[in-house]
Amino acid sequence: MKEAEHTHKTYHRNKTVAVMFICLLLFMGLIARLVYLMVFQSEYYTQKAKELHERERTIKAARGRIIDANGEVIADNKTVCTISVIHNQIEDADRVTEVLSKELGLSEEYVRKRVDKYSSIEKIKSNVDKSVGDIIRAYELAGVKVDEDYKRYYPYESLASKVLGFTGGDNQGIIGLEVKYEEYLQGRAGTILTVTDAKGVEVAKAGEERIEPVNGDDLYISMDMNIQSYATQLALQTMETKQADSVSFIVMNPRNGELMAMVNVPEFDLNNPYTLPDGVNAEGLSEEKKQELLNGMWRNGCINDTYEPGSTFKIVTATAALEEGVVTVNDNFNCPGYVMVGDRRIRCHKIAGHGAENFVEATMNSCNPVFVTIGLRLGVDNYYKYFKKFGLLDKTGIDLPGEAGTIMHKKENIGQVELATISFGQSFQITPIQLAVTAASVVNGGNRVTPHFGVRVVSSDSGESRSFTYKVRKNVVSKETSETMRYILEQVVENGGGKKAYIEGRRIGGKTATSQTLPRGSGKYIASFLGFYPADDPEVLALCIINNPQGVYYGGQIAAPVVKELFENILPYLENMDYNK
Amino acid sequence: MSARRSSGRQSNSENYMDYSLLFIVIFLLGFGLVMVYSTSSYEANLNFDGDSAWYLRKQLTATILGIIAMFVVANIPYHFWERFAALGYIVSVILILLIIPFGHEANGAKRWLYIGGISLQPAEAAKLGMILFLASMICSMGKSIRTRKGFYTVLAVPVPIALMLWKITSNMSSAIIVMGIAVLMLFVSCPDYKRFIIWGLVVIAGAALLVFAIVQMSQSDAENMGFRFARILAWLDPEAYASGKGFQTLQGLYAIGSGGILGKGLGASMQKLGFIPEAQNDMIFSIICEELGLFGAIAVILMFIMLIWRFMIVANNAPDLFGALLVVGVLGHIAIQVILNIAVVTNTIPNTGISLPFISYGGTSVVFLLTEIGLVLSVAKGIRLKDL
Repeated sequence: MKEAEHTHKTYHRNKTVAVMFICLLLFMGLIARLVYLMVFQSEYYTQKAKELHERERTIKAARGRIIDANGEVIADNKTVCTISVIHNQIEDADRVTEVLSKELGLSEEYVRKRVDKYSSIEKIKSNVDKSVGDIIRAYELAGVKVDEDYKRYYPYESLASKVLGFTGGDNQGIIGLEVKYEEYLQGRAGTILTVTDAKGVEVAKAGEERIEPVNGDDLYISMDMNIQSYATQLALQTMETKQADSVSFIVMNPRNGELMAMVNVPEFDLNNPYTLPDGVNAEGLSEEKKQELLNGMWRNGCINDTYEPGSTFKIVTATAALEEGVVTVNDNFNCPGYVMVGDRRIRCHKIAGHGAENFVEATMNSCNPVFVTIGLRLGVDNYYKYFKKFGLLDKTGIDLPGEAGTIMHKKENIGQVELATISFGQSFQITPIQLAVTAASVVNGGNRVTPHFGVRVVSSDSGESRSFTYKVRKNVVSKETSETMRYILEQVVENGGGKKAYIEGRRIGGKTATSQTLPRGSGKYIASFLGFYPADDPEVLALCIINNPQGVYYGGQIAAPVVKELFENILPYLENMDYNK
Repeated sequence: MSARRSSGRQSNSENYMDYSLLFIVIFLLGFGLVMVYSTSSYEANLNFDGDSAWYLRKQLTATILGIIAMFVVANIPYHFWERFAALGYIVSVILILLIIPFGHEANGAKRWLYIGGISLQPAEAAKLGMILFLASMICSMGKSIRTRKGFYTVLAVPVPIALMLWKITSNMSSAIIVMGIAVLMLFVSCPDYKRFIIWGLVVIAGAALLVFAIVQMSQSDAENMGFRFARILAWLDPEAYASGKGFQTLQGLYAIGSGGILGKGLGASMQKLGFIPEAQNDMIFSIICEELGLFGAIAVILMFIMLIWRFMIVANNAPDLFGALLVVGVLGHIAIQVILNIAVVTNTIPNTGISLPFISYGGTSVVFLLTEIGLVLSVAKGIRLKDL
């Protein structure tokens, strides 16, 4: 019995030892596996785990300011706070509710509901004034988060609204200069890396990694808020007295293309860009329809819309004819009140006709038959050549988004009748800015400039300044022709159709226009006047366009006085400022 | 036995206590409680209204209960239990069957019974029952175990229990453990090697073939096969199944890998913050790796190796075969569970829910494990000191 048990035990002992060694072997294998995972694969899994645990919160960069020619800040940032609560970190829910409802002016139930809500982070109120945010922060309540944020703020409210544009929820530019100079203005957002648990709740003890934001560059523009402000007042006044649909104003320096003002009334409030104008009932409108109305409200007529320029375009016809030598200043014409083109009879606005007149007088009278005659003398090829030379078929390249192109006949489709109508500014469409720039290049000595607002950007951190340069095409028009045109256009204001823009003791040149809008016979007109000063060497050029005025609709009657009034006020100011010297 | 009773060392042997074994177990229990608190406090804080020690308290209660059971069992001569062997088997079967009408479901599986306010996992009871029943049965078989019939009889005994655990409680890992315990006890009690080596190779080859077949089939019929054998496919490429079957595994690997050599420090795990759901359960070893690093992980494995080594010493010095087989059964139970758990956590084998003995959260498990330790201590008490 004892012997049997002994032998029995020998092999079962061996076997138990064998089991032990098998286990040992397996454990060795597992340790090897652990070494592989925790030493050789450690970096990979650490990285993966880090990606899983870290949440990125962005710190918004302050958007660059927009500053006018006088150093006035016209687009600024306001620091606002967002107050939120983190449920898991709240220690004293009653006190948090009490303080937040008191400081934020919210009902206790409203705050309580959010304080008690089981979520990672619950927003209580955004766009809170920084002062209020600071007060709340000073309570040092556990679980209450005060995040600072920037909100765009426009101190001049609606002034130059369609030029400046505004920003959206992420502080990104939506329209206007805010979009065009986005890359400079936006800056670079910083980040806070925080560690969170699986539900996204921040782990307090883990600390945070911070990458500081880089603020946007300040944009200095050529707009002068004094001129802009005055032009806007004038435009509003005109819109009201003439019961016009809208009034636009462009004031620029014809020498370098710098724009001093660009007005499109009615403007809108940049601080509330999504509020439709009074009298528009937005209720019951579809989102799409509402957006359409907003887009209409934001539209910058000076660059986004085209119109038939009418008689102001005679500047181009005259310049081309003089350059090409098909007419001289002293050429004599006779206007019977109409001109025959093929079998079509094109009437002069003076039905009785202007009778005998030379070319200067014809321009002063804005005589259509004379301009048709010289247009036909030029011929399609020559006319088209000057169109191209002026860059009328291209966009002006203004630093605003959404510039509209010229709507013009194809060259092969221009017959005698079309050529005749083009000669006095009809049957095609251009933007107001295109007209202003083209006129500027005629009177500035013949250089085609690029209209612009942006002058330079200045880094808010380093103070480093970067100026923009704009393309200038020299000698589009010869100096002589330019001088002749200045003389003729000065005559228009002194003795001709533009005399309502005449200011005693000032040399002002200009041209009026009255164009009927399409469809013809609708009884709607656009009255406009383009003026510049001083006539011998222009420093400032202004274009005023009155859309659908009621009553008297002649440009010479209603638009010229507006430009006169503008000049009366801004010319002394500009001289005082030594603005263009 | 009569010979030993008459020996002069009787009084010594009666009082013999395997303190090394006891110390290792108490160390593991203490370490387990620390880790249970570390892994569960964050979620407990969220789920039980700020009571971060909720899991710790429950585990501590079960541990104290287990220690009492251990000392009681250790002081009862182990032959006392031999008469209950058959009863144990029957009770195991009944408890498992009771799950069908009365089972309590948690995490999508019916595994718990509530008896008088305490929850009980019949699977844990079945493992102890199996050890007792097989030890008793093999002893009574004598030399007939060496026959083919004897061999397969022993192998057939755990099959009904294993099948029931698998099918009724959908607890495949417990089924594997019950079968594993039986195989190990058979291996020790049978002088043959060849048959085990052949069977071992057959099982390994079969498993390899199955995996190969599943991979092949999943490529041709991705949808159907991908669903049914997702566990296998997720094992081979957990990142491809990151949001499904591979989620837990992958989260565990993040924890292990990010622990590195020295770990993040006790309590500093990130993955326990909800990334690994119920980190105090089966995946606790991954948090040990994350917090204590490779050194901590190896230290834990060394503790288990020492425990198994103590079991081997006790088994090989047991006064009789019954005692030895009891210890071998316990050794098998704990060794299989530790190895499978670590293998699962490190994605060495496909994912299956196995807890880490003495460390994972789980009341039934710790009570029954400590009862088994009590049995081992009881066997150790019978050792004559000259045998050591």
